[in-house]
Amino acid sequence: MVDSVLRPAGGKVAPGGPEATVQLIVFQLAGEDYGVRIEQVREVTVTPEVARMPKTPAFIKGIINLRGDIIAVIDLEERFGLVPAGRPLPAHSYTVAVEAAEYTIGLAVRDVPRPMRISAAAIEAAPEFLQDSGQRERYLEGIAKLPDNSVIIVLDMRKLLMASEILRLPN
Amino acid sequence: MNAREQEYRELFMAEALEYYDGMGRHLSVLERSPTDVPALNELFRLMHNLKSNARAMGHAAIGEVAHSLETIFGLIREQQRAFAGALVPVVFTGLDELGTMIRAVGASQPLPDAAVLLENLARVARGEEPVQPAAAVPTAPDTPSEEDTRKLELSDLVYIQVRKLDKLLNLVGELVIDRDRLLTLAEEIGHPALQATARHLFRISDDLQYSVMDVRLVGVGVLLNKFPRVVRDVAAAEGKEAELTLSGQDVQIDRNVLQMITDGLLHLVRNGVSHGLETPDQREAAGKPRVGQLRLSALTERDDVLIEVADDGPGIDTEAVRRKAVERGLTTAALAAGLDEQAVWAFLFEPGFSTAAQVTDISGRGVGLDVVKRALDSLGGQLRISSVRGQGTSFTLVLPTSIAVKGALLVELDGRPYAVPLLHTDTVLALRPEEFSVAAGLLLAHVQGQAVPVVPLRDLLHAEGSEPLPTADKTQLHGPQQVLVVNYNNRRLGLLVDQFIRQQSIVIKPLSKPLDTIDLFGGVTLLGSGQVCLVLDVPALTRLFVARRA
Repeated sequence: MVDSVLRPAGGKVAPGGPEATVQLIVFQLAGEDYGVRIEQVREVTVTPEVARMPKTPAFIKGIINLRGDIIAVIDLEERFGLVPAGRPLPAHSYTVAVEAAEYTIGLAVRDVPRPMRISAAAIEAAPEFLQDSGQRERYLEGIAKLPDNSVIIVLDMRKLLMASEILRLPN
Repeated sequence: MNAREQEYRELFMAEALEYYDGMGRHLSVLERSPTDVPALNELFRLMHNLKSNARAMGHAAIGEVAHSLETIFGLIREQQRAFAGALVPVVFTGLDELGTMIRAVGASQPLPDAAVLLENLARVARGEEPVQPAAAVPTAPDTPSEEDTRKLELSDLVYIQVRKLDKLLNLVGELVIDRDRLLTLAEEIGHPALQATARHLFRISDDLQYSVMDVRLVGVGVLLNKFPRVVRDVAAAEGKEAELTLSGQDVQIDRNVLQMITDGLLHLVRNGVSHGLETPDQREAAGKPRVGQLRLSALTERDDVLIEVADDGPGIDTEAVRRKAVERGLTTAALAAGLDEQAVWAFLFEPGFSTAAQVTDISGRGVGLDVVKRALDSLGGQLRISSVRGQGTSFTLVLPTSIAVKGALLVELDGRPYAVPLLHTDTVLALRPEEFSVAAGLLLAHVQGQAVPVVPLRDLLHAEGSEPLPTADKTQLHGPQQVLVVNYNNRRLGLLVDQFIRQQSIVIKPLSKPLDTIDLFGGVTLLGSGQVCLVLDVPALTRLFVARRA
């Protein structure tokens, strides 16, 4: 059985303050910070043994046993074209299991994902020209500017998972 | 009383008490608003159901009372009588009396005499005043004696969603797999107390598994009993004369298995009448009785349930099917010529074949039979066909009793395990390269006097796009080759694998979205170690091979 690094379900409920905040799970892809809203994350775990699945594109790393549920694990760096396709996962990685209405899918990341609370106002809509320029940009919710001037690219998992072509499966 | 009668009685009791409760509720509504149409409709419906059930079970007295009450509700609905005056207490008394009678059935006691009640019901139905004794009842509804007889009933049966049973069965399946693993470990470690505990766990989980499976079993009769009507209707529409014989209604099968083959069986039976039987005149000319015989029977064979649909019609015209299969592009003329009749008949269940409407006129078979095959494939079942020209045809569905736990052979390819359901495995072979032959770009193994095409499983799993598979090359084979011969739709196919691991029971989990579109995999299973193992779908592999062979 997999060891849970952190379980969002046990996280604190966002306090209803004057300033609305958003809790993100933040991870790195090709050196940049990406975030997913915590309510779209089912759990973060050390990636268990991945069974390679024939007949799937290279960025699908295979399937894992997540507490009895079998889910697919994908490498977003490859999917977004940030690195060449077909790279094996490192011996030690983490899986962010994200949830949509229809299914759960695992995002394999190399470093420990971390939770972060930011002001909702900090998320700016992605610039228009970014929206249709590439794979990654189509799944953006916006870009969060932090006080230290660093940015987090906030992904909208519902867009990512709704798009059936994300997997571009045969048949 | 045997177990089945007991079960029927319990079912009758559960339904009767439910109807009784429901009618009590609706009657209270009617008392407040005597013209409430939905309440009247429900009362009429429930009373009608109760009447039918009671008569079917031989409880004529309950049927009589229910019939009289149904009549009265009908009259009120048609506004010929009003739910008012003396009629009200008589109806309430009637319902109370029904409750008493139902309870008497449950307690195996004689039913109370209902003559006075029936007389009163008949009188109010005619719009007359009831005779005295019944009228006395509502005047003293709160007397202690009345209070004693009025009981609150809870049914002895619970209704449960099949979905919940599915979950339970899956969990038990996984428990059983872990149990096997534990038993093996206990033997390896050799600790006596641990071994004893593991064996105890083995027995308990075995009982648990069978209990859960038992809960899901229903008699095949619940489906078969629907067919006399189907046969009558189709025969009438087609100008045929057919007699249907049912047998084996008591054979037990998993409810979901039965559900999944319902459509397929319907097609087979309809086909059996409309194409499997000749017209009365044709039959007479062929020296057969005018009335065609159709047999629908179920029986148990080891862990499988066989359901057979047999007719005494003209049999399958094998040559017509062979020609049609070539015309339909399902095979080539050269290949078709060499196929035995079993392999030819298998075409009847191909989707491409079934749409050929005119085939039914020539061969007497064909429309929609691919639904049968699809249902069997998803269940891991098999189809057996036998047919003799002029004497008849029989189709036998070989179904698993239960769907959760399946026997499978684990094979290894590129360091990963794959499971192949035993239902589709034929034999395993270790062959030296020189024992293979190559013909038309295909690698062939010779199994029991039959040439079986062999393909590396690796090639099938990694075939991209729609390119043909690489041409077979014997020189690529080095050392002994492990061949798993699978069988689907009477076609054998050899798969080259790295090695055979072992045979074991597996619980198949469906692949979740979005991977469920890859049809080569029937699902996944978790091995005792927690390792994920893909389950190969032999029908899909066979289809892929046929479509892509070099």
